[in-house]
Amino acid sequence: MSGRGGYLLRKIGWALLTIFVVITFNFVLFRVLPGDPAKSGLRDPRLNPAAVEALRERFGIDKPVFLNLDGGNPFDSQYVAYFAALSRGDLGTSYAFRDQPVSSLIGQALGNTLWLILPSQFLAIIFGAGLGLFAAWRRGRALDVSALTFSLFMWSLPTFFLGIILLIIGANWLGLPTAGRITIGAGFESPLDVAIDVGRHLILPTLTLTLVLLGEYMLIMRSSVLDVFGEDYILTARAKGLSTYGIIRHHALRNAILPMVTLIALNLGFTVSGAIQVEAVYSWPGLGALTVNAVGDRDFPVLQGAFLLIAVAVVLANLIAELIYGWLDPRVSDA
Amino acid sequence: MSVLIEATAPSTVEPRGALRSFLRHRMGVIGAAMLLIAVFVAVAAPILAPYDPYEHVRVTVFDIYQKPSAEHLLGTDDGGKDVFSSLLYGARVSLIAGFAAAAIALFIGGLVGIVAGYRGGWVGSLLMRITDFFLVIPDLALQIVLVAIIGPSLGTIIFVIGVLGWTTTARLVRSQALTVRERKYVMRARAIGAGDSHILRRHILPAVLPLMLANMVLVISLAILSESTLAFLGLGDPTVISWGQMLNFAFGRGAVTAGAWWALLPPGFAIVWVVLGTTLLGTALEDALNPRLKRHHLEAAGSDVARGRNVPTLDAPTLAMTGSSADPSPILLVRDLSIEFDTPAGPKLAVEGVSFDLNRGETLGLVGESGCGKTTTVLGVLRLLPPGGRVVSGSVWFDGEDLLGLDGPALRSFRWTRLSLVFQGAMNALNPVLTVGDQIAEAVRLHAPGTTKREAADQVAELLERVGIGRRRANEYPHTYSGGMRQRAMIALALSCDPDVIVADEPTTALDVMIQAQILELLGGIARDFGTGIIIVTHDLGVVAEVCDRVVVMYGGGVAEENQAATLFREPQHPYTQELLQSFPDLAHPDRPLRGIPGSPPRIDDMPVGCRFAPRCPHAFDRCGTERPPDYSAAGGRAACFLLDLEERES
Repeated sequence: MSGRGGYLLRKIGWALLTIFVVITFNFVLFRVLPGDPAKSGLRDPRLNPAAVEALRERFGIDKPVFLNLDGGNPFDSQYVAYFAALSRGDLGTSYAFRDQPVSSLIGQALGNTLWLILPSQFLAIIFGAGLGLFAAWRRGRALDVSALTFSLFMWSLPTFFLGIILLIIGANWLGLPTAGRITIGAGFESPLDVAIDVGRHLILPTLTLTLVLLGEYMLIMRSSVLDVFGEDYILTARAKGLSTYGIIRHHALRNAILPMVTLIALNLGFTVSGAIQVEAVYSWPGLGALTVNAVGDRDFPVLQGAFLLIAVAVVLANLIAELIYGWLDPRVSDA
Repeated sequence: MSVLIEATAPSTVEPRGALRSFLRHRMGVIGAAMLLIAVFVAVAAPILAPYDPYEHVRVTVFDIYQKPSAEHLLGTDDGGKDVFSSLLYGARVSLIAGFAAAAIALFIGGLVGIVAGYRGGWVGSLLMRITDFFLVIPDLALQIVLVAIIGPSLGTIIFVIGVLGWTTTARLVRSQALTVRERKYVMRARAIGAGDSHILRRHILPAVLPLMLANMVLVISLAILSESTLAFLGLGDPTVISWGQMLNFAFGRGAVTAGAWWALLPPGFAIVWVVLGTTLLGTALEDALNPRLKRHHLEAAGSDVARGRNVPTLDAPTLAMTGSSADPSPILLVRDLSIEFDTPAGPKLAVEGVSFDLNRGETLGLVGESGCGKTTTVLGVLRLLPPGGRVVSGSVWFDGEDLLGLDGPALRSFRWTRLSLVFQGAMNALNPVLTVGDQIAEAVRLHAPGTTKREAADQVAELLERVGIGRRRANEYPHTYSGGMRQRAMIALALSCDPDVIVADEPTTALDVMIQAQILELLGGIARDFGTGIIIVTHDLGVVAEVCDRVVVMYGGGVAEENQAATLFREPQHPYTQELLQSFPDLAHPDRPLRGIPGSPPRIDDMPVGCRFAPRCPHAFDRCGTERPPDYSAAGGRAACFLLDLEERES
């Protein structure tokens, strides 16, 4: 019992530490590297020294970066101020959208991204795991070979290019909307109409992301199931007289899902990368599109906030996956 | 069980394994060819391209998005430029970015991996923590941020992809360096005072480099993908033409609305071409360096008996063939059993013409070195042969029923109720995510469908107590059991449906001597108390001496000798049996020097023509090399050796 509690604590501790490092990393990235927005603004020759000083104070960059060692409060530094602001949920103000706090911008975007990612993940995991299981069971047969070919092709196909191909097909032959979240300027009569419209907008982006993730998950599940099928306890189960279905259901599936959980978590970066590309192709107003647009607008507060949110979300999702793993596998309490 | 597979595996290959490795090989060749074509195009772009895409051209509205024509093979783009020429030039940027970024990633990853693996200690763990950190951070998001901060140029992009792409390489190299570091010859080199640089150069690098080569190809494909993605997202260098950049311009400037597929599809499929080529090549290299021929216990179910199997009829003389013990009615009759395995050189016999009986309540030892076909024989009898193996002739009669003729439901209900199994070591023979009690209850309820959960739980508790495990431990997982307890639990599982026969495959291997004795006592007790027939497969004559009534000695896939245990130990007839006994410590004569048998059992793809033991036999003469000896009766048993031929003896 203490073993399992220890496992929980270790994983949570590691996640917290990672988040702390992510925040610090994010801080350093935007303050120390030459791209610092405040600094580049201050290089403007039209500004007089007093204005520069006022701006420096406003951005808080008159303070030392990490620790104040010139006497006074050692914690009166940019780094500590950054943490303090973060704890209030303050991520600064966007340059491009003048009055909007970054936190509300990325909050909205996060919601839209989840609408895209969650259904895609769900569909991809269900179909990917199912196909992977089937391919492994029928190793070397037609289904397996075509599944492998499919995932190899999906792997080689850049996500954005798949998005473009589906966009062309969807727009020309299926008459589906290809950009944005909702038809702008359409008069909707009921919330149901709105939902249907948003749903139609979601079809192509979701399909793209699902297909990309599917190939990956299928490969993972296939090799994971193949590993399990080679285990001795499967032979025991067969010797016991279980049917193939019984063996898969009671002995193979749970063991095969274990590495799946870890690998899906490790592949979250892959999901994020896919979502960024899909959002860019379909102008889906999520975190990815926000990030890409922030680069174009040189809107550094938004870029910084969005990156922080993405990184922290991935770390947390990883943590959840590890907790699920600990719950599924009785052996972790010994680890 | 791993030994079980090793015993059958030395030259057995899955049926489609050979085909698949050939296919993989061919995939590698195709991948290399695809990559070479791309490299050729990149190098020869100025010669091949009809136009120079970097040249400034004056365009009018009519030049934009022109359809493919003789003049413009792939039409024109949003700037009125020839798509075909841009496509050829684009290969340069994609490949340069891919190779250069991969070089950076491999250098960092290799360095971090070698230091972390070879140095270890706190430096190693710190490096691995950093690697873990970068593994978690989503690549593309960080790439975007870095390119945005540093500013988009081809150099930046290469740098960013390289600097963020090293983590998988580092992990791979570290684990390889760790393994090599622990090898005996490296430890020896260190012990005699070899310096770090010598060990790194002579031992670590040669082991790490091939792996890095395969990894490199995959890192290149990732880098090419990353470059095109960044360029598509508008983070590319706007002054150079890359495939991602072409897509960015076309997609951003109305190619979809204009229906100008020629501006979109060619650069997209060019990326697919290169990434597919590198991936195929990388996968093939990885396979060649690290071949994985996996076992698959569910494959080819039902095809383990050849269709044209030759079935000898069961008649009275066959029944009376063997010497019998107290109860003379055999429950299991194996006749002329031959099993073949697919090998790269075609199917080869692993077991040939094996016959033996098991009487009710008798304990039979199946003895021989590993690779002699003991386990294959048993798996063939149990209908559990791995894929690629099949019974080609012979028959197995269990209580008057032809086992090899059973199929589907009949076979499943036969299993465990009449004949059950105890696997070696039992480490992996029990499912790690189910409690021991659940696994026993599963068998109970499977074969007695009316049993309630409570009744099953009671039976489980009883079974566990019978093998000396407290009933409370039923709800625990196998990993909480000691090795000996797992073996007991496996025996409880084997007993759960009250079978007539239990086959125990190396039941005491990997257990310490005290535990071995307890397990053997337990098996002996089962045979005595329940009249269960037991077949013990082992290479350990001590086990045989302790519990077996009768012994079948196997060599090279055939039976060398069979006799009552006591007689066999006293008067071994076959030279192989004699040699085996020589290599086994004798408590009665502790001073007798022990010696192993020189050489090793024949591989199934390299069977001697005559007597299979002849090449190692101290008494072999010319006939042994040309003719296979039949069984001769001797000392109340039988042995397959020409020395027992009376005519030979006279001459």
